[in-house]
Amino acid sequence: MARDYGTENWIDWCPGCGNFGIVSSVYRAFSELEVEPENTVVVSGIGCSGKMPHFIDVNGVHTLHGRAIPFATGIKMADPKLKVVVNGGDGDLLGIGAGHFVALGRRNLDVLVMMHDNRVYGLTKGQASPTLPRDTKTKALNTPSIQDAVEPLALALTSGYTHVARSFAMDSDHLKESIKDGMEHEGAAFLNILQPCVTYNDIHTSEYFNERIDKLEDWDPEDIDPTEAMDRSRIDEEIPIGLFYRDTETPTFEERIAEQLPSYQEKAPAEQDIEKNGKTILDQETFRSKFKGNLIRKEK
Amino acid sequence: MTEKLNMILGGAQGSGLETTIQILSTAFASSGNGFLADREYFSNIKGRHSYAHAKISAEDIPRSIDSKIGLLGCMDAETLFTHFEDLVDGGYLIYDTSTEDKTQDSIKSIEDPLRERLEERFNEIGIDGTISSLVEYLKEEKNVEVIELDYPSILEDIQKEFDISSSQASRYVSSILIGAVTGLMGLEKEQVDKGIERKFEGKEKIAKQNIFLVEKVNEMVREEHGSPLKLEGAKLDEDELLMVNGNEIIGMGKITGGMRFQSYYPITPAADESFFIEQHASFEDEGSVLVFQTEDELAAITSCIGAALTGTRSATATSGPGFALMVEGLGWAGINEVPIVITYYQRGGPSTGQPTRGSQDDLMNVLYSSHGNFPRIVLVSGDHEEAFDDAVKAFNLAEKYQTPVIHLMDKFLANIVKTIPVPEIEGKKIDRGKLFDRKDYKRFADGPISERGFLGSEVMWYTGSEHDAEGNVSEDPENRIRMHEKRMKKLKIAGEEMDDRAIYFGPEEAENLIVGWGSVKGAILDAIDEMKEDFGYLHFRCFSPFPAKKVSSILEKSEVVIAVEHSYSPRVSEVVSLKTGYQIEKEVVKFTGRPIYRDELIDSLVNIIEGSDREVLKHGP
Repeated sequence: MARDYGTENWIDWCPGCGNFGIVSSVYRAFSELEVEPENTVVVSGIGCSGKMPHFIDVNGVHTLHGRAIPFATGIKMADPKLKVVVNGGDGDLLGIGAGHFVALGRRNLDVLVMMHDNRVYGLTKGQASPTLPRDTKTKALNTPSIQDAVEPLALALTSGYTHVARSFAMDSDHLKESIKDGMEHEGAAFLNILQPCVTYNDIHTSEYFNERIDKLEDWDPEDIDPTEAMDRSRIDEEIPIGLFYRDTETPTFEERIAEQLPSYQEKAPAEQDIEKNGKTILDQETFRSKFKGNLIRKEK
Repeated sequence: MTEKLNMILGGAQGSGLETTIQILSTAFASSGNGFLADREYFSNIKGRHSYAHAKISAEDIPRSIDSKIGLLGCMDAETLFTHFEDLVDGGYLIYDTSTEDKTQDSIKSIEDPLRERLEERFNEIGIDGTISSLVEYLKEEKNVEVIELDYPSILEDIQKEFDISSSQASRYVSSILIGAVTGLMGLEKEQVDKGIERKFEGKEKIAKQNIFLVEKVNEMVREEHGSPLKLEGAKLDEDELLMVNGNEIIGMGKITGGMRFQSYYPITPAADESFFIEQHASFEDEGSVLVFQTEDELAAITSCIGAALTGTRSATATSGPGFALMVEGLGWAGINEVPIVITYYQRGGPSTGQPTRGSQDDLMNVLYSSHGNFPRIVLVSGDHEEAFDDAVKAFNLAEKYQTPVIHLMDKFLANIVKTIPVPEIEGKKIDRGKLFDRKDYKRFADGPISERGFLGSEVMWYTGSEHDAEGNVSEDPENRIRMHEKRMKKLKIAGEEMDDRAIYFGPEEAENLIVGWGSVKGAILDAIDEMKEDFGYLHFRCFSPFPAKKVSSILEKSEVVIAVEHSYSPRVSEVVSLKTGYQIEKEVVKFTGRPIYRDELIDSLVNIIEGSDREVLKHGP
């Protein structure tokens, strides 16, 4: 029987929130992939999307605003057997945490980043997020936003993510498949999930997205240049969704580390014994030979 | 003949001074002498004045340095201008005679205030300000013995001898200084050669050429001056010594202590520690340490926490500005009871402040930074030996009490190169604390110290929000009380269990008591050895949990209590007052970022005994 990945916690998002669509797609994807709860970690930042881990019955690490990626990075690097998925909002990942977003791409560490993109800061009452287009005035804003929007997929592609996709919270099948693809990819994967904020964004509603969404067809995401993927993913009149880019050639961060530290693959940091009977595993001789560059013998 | 020698070797940053120090320190140590050298340098890669201020001792391992030096070795004219007044009467000077016409005006790297002070001083002593006039003054008025060497012509000789380019030869200036110093100090050829061969391992040709040059200068100097600075009767028992700076000894401690993940963002004076660990990252059988350079300090602390959640002993190393960015992460580790170690090397602040100079001004910063309240353990080390022990202990405490440990040191310790006995490794305790071994695991159940599980072993939740036993967000007031108390009680337990948080040195009932912590230790111990009055020294090893009972009982016994610290006003006095109610009335402070010298500390203590309440130390260029 398929496992139920829900928890007993009451889900306190606003009725109609796009996050319901996202969490239920996560349940379905995890179930179909039969992920092992103790070997899977959902890492989140702050805001409505930050609550995700508490509603999913796998390891959950609900971190700080903007820092989900570096937390996830430490977890994955120390224990690469863990499957690590980041859930963050648009403000979290591309505002306060943009530096980390870029850094993960540069490393191509095997982590899936799911960006909950509703173009506003929901939990603080609807301020403009980095993905809200300029001159847009959602109902919570005093005046239209005068800052340009970041294009998340373009940023992901230029940063080096090797799996770049877009999906929509209210299209559960598409989203479920996108999550599965992202989890199965080995390397840094980015999944931009468009979603409505029913309380604070009266412009980018479900209807708005439904009218514009255009599913990718006849598109081969492999063997292309990232710039081609960038062009194809651009939002104009239509909003293309699907997998725009996949690169399975670029080595993952884990592979790059293993090249420098040969024991890394077999004995990752979390797998190593560091004590024997309550004592350090180093003995005097190992210490001396390890640090022989600092040892000086007296010349008689 | 003498048993101890203080000396300064100086030159432009990037001109080979580091090589000189490495080779000489090896030579001194292999001849059975104790060695300690402070390093002073600007925030600069090449060109600004840099120097090593060392003490070599035949009878023990030095703990401090004196402002007055017996030997000044100059690679360039700026060194002589900067340090000529540090020479003792009858001291020795090594300098380049080809610089004799130089005046300070031609040296752009001298800062204006020093320029003005020099001009004033030259007027006072009535010299024209050329190097030759300065050397004459030192000879005539200070009885300084001058070792005059024409560096360019020596280099020209070596250029001809080995048929190398002049630019290659110019890189051998450091060997001129080595030759002159070892000549004056009468070091044996084998001891010097060993240092050079070690430094140029795998570069035999360069080693050979340097050895040739060193020998040549060594002979020249001996012929003319003999070896008047020969240290007599090296008495150190050890057949083997470790030559380390503070960054390195901490790296060794962390590796010994089982650290397997270190994150960092480059910052002076912490980055060298990570670099050293990376150089020694691989173990043949047991695995390796993963050293991770992050995009910023926000990522350094948070990736460190992430790694710690998997059960990996994890740390990060930084300085004040980096720590400022880590504070939010520190709080997260606090509320989530994550064992992490932050190694913190203080430098002069606020802001960028004095990035390459030392300070002890950040004690309050590590004790109270972060919003909200959580237990944190703050260890402080006073020398290399303490630093090694603390580096191991920090992880044990972090895991035992499941809370962040901050290991606070400073730039002085980070950069001081010192010979120490090889630490005892076997038997170093590794205490991983209470680990989980049951089903239906709840990360924060029971307590105050819960069973600690690792990601990858059971399902668990963490959140920076107040949470219940399972790690789910809860704003319930009773839960808040339960969880907050659970966490805070751990500090109380640690306070009951941790020994040696404050150490007392000195006679049982000393009339005068010095209170201090960190790298002031050596100068204080050496100073009070020389004071004719009775002095005790209360040396902190841990500020949180604060050893209030012990500290109060020691403070009560003394009549005069003096805080000594590298800060504008001693933070240690503030903390003692806060925790015990005792007001420390007197203080000796230094906030130039230069080390506290033994001799200037003695002078200031004399003034304190005579009634002064505050002494501000200023020595050191």
